[in-house]
Amino acid sequence: MNKRTGKQVNNSITSKTKTMTTHTKAEVILSVQNVNLSYAGKQVLHNVSFEIKNIVRPGVNQGQVVSLIGRSGIGKTQLFKLLSGLQKPTSGRIMIHETKEVQPGDMGVIFQNYYLFEWRTIHQSLWLAAKQNKALRGGEKEAIAHYTNHFELAEHLQKYPQQLSGGQRQRASIIQQLLKGSDFLLLDEPFSGLDVCVLDRVVNLLLDVSLSDELKTLVIVSHDIATSIAISDTVFILGKTEGEEGATIKKEIDLIERGLAWDKDSRQQQAFADTVAEIKSCL
Amino acid sequence: MKTMKTIFQPFGQLSRQVFFTMLVAQVVIALVLWQVGSNGLIPSPLQVKKAFLQLLSTRVLWENILVSLGLTLQAMLYSIAITLFFAYLSVLPFFRGLANFLVKCRYLTLTGLIFIFTLLTKDGSQLKLSLLVFGIVPFFVTSFLSVIMAIDKQEYELCKTLGYNNWQTLYEVIIVGKADQVLEILRQNFAIAWLMITLVEGLSMSEGGIGTLLIKYNKYNDIANVMALQGIIFIIGIGFDYGLGSLRKWLFPYAGLKA
Repeated sequence: MNKRTGKQVNNSITSKTKTMTTHTKAEVILSVQNVNLSYAGKQVLHNVSFEIKNIVRPGVNQGQVVSLIGRSGIGKTQLFKLLSGLQKPTSGRIMIHETKEVQPGDMGVIFQNYYLFEWRTIHQSLWLAAKQNKALRGGEKEAIAHYTNHFELAEHLQKYPQQLSGGQRQRASIIQQLLKGSDFLLLDEPFSGLDVCVLDRVVNLLLDVSLSDELKTLVIVSHDIATSIAISDTVFILGKTEGEEGATIKKEIDLIERGLAWDKDSRQQQAFADTVAEIKSCL
Repeated sequence: MKTMKTIFQPFGQLSRQVFFTMLVAQVVIALVLWQVGSNGLIPSPLQVKKAFLQLLSTRVLWENILVSLGLTLQAMLYSIAITLFFAYLSVLPFFRGLANFLVKCRYLTLTGLIFIFTLLTKDGSQLKLSLLVFGIVPFFVTSFLSVIMAIDKQEYELCKTLGYNNWQTLYEVIIVGKADQVLEILRQNFAIAWLMITLVEGLSMSEGGIGTLLIKYNKYNDIANVMALQGIIFIIGIGFDYGLGSLRKWLFPYAGLKA
């Protein structure tokens, strides 16, 4: 079973192959190269380097979810801002498809509080985002209708953000960034402060987004270890190493290799508990 | 007893009915004290009421009110245009200093500038208008710059994530996003314009206006009419405050919404 679609995608998958689903890691789509960030003379991030590669699964059209896990105050938000292009690193660079240095607007960004223009109706906000997407030219109306129907927001289009619930704001925020058309969607603490029922809905929503396109890559910055593992294909752990000032990537965990990706019931596996414990020990 | 306690409690919450009753009682007490305390020089509330009703029935009052309102609205329009021009441009480093200088102009007195403005303008009408505009603009600019300074950083960041350039961001966040605040500033600062009108109208009395009328009544120690006129000025001010507030809610429905 594919945890994203809930459908049987490969009948040949046996209990053995469940731990190593058929896939290939192709070209690098995002690379963070020796990124350092100092703020007021204090090193916040130290030599952060990692790569996200395009994951290709034969017969399956889906993107991927990558999580950056770290303790509160470790520098996750700073790394989030660097990835989104809103802030420049002190040194190092962040490249998209190895050809272009990240600029503001290259990434879809979902802020922790799902910020939207308070003076625009949801429809106006979505329209403005769609107008920024050259690929949608002429088809903005249809694209808005498609996403708002898919994410159950169609009946709220004429409302202002202040009139929406937290969940509705989150969906509006995600649709806005999807309409803008970036392959990457950065999410800052999307699971923060959610109750169990809402958390499940958010997880399903994000999986749904990752399914929308082969190159759609969700980068989640979070301190929620279990939920991040349950949703991701790859996890990067942001932490501090002894004797070094500033946080860095301490470990990369390939959840596909561990059989934890694309499995709806991954939480039931021993490997899941082991991975949670492993990450905790790194933080 | 519980209500009495709440009335004098910090952050005490009163029902609408209790609050209204309390307000009426306070007004009645004030009027009674005024009536009892008034002597030959200070007119009693009843004398003021009589003068008030008499004034309302005269054509002179309405003509003068129209003159003052015309001048005030004209000054407000010019002031808001100048304010928006400089406030919007204040995000450009070249104009930042000028906008900040305008803010500091609050501390200049109009009285000290009358002679210069008399030389710069060609008639009394222009003199009044330019003095009023000069008096209002620094307050408008101060208010609007504080709105710009208080803009949440995330508003700019959202624009950047949507791929807006700096001009698009200026248009979306400051011009469109803060349009409701322009009306709020107008509402809050209308009182300043209304306060100054009586001052500047005294400089050129040929065109009339409530300021002129006020000076005339003061000159003849007609205190009952002075107080009645003050009441009318007060009511017009409150009316404008309410009208501009309602206009803001109508034009910008999101302004009254809370997340």
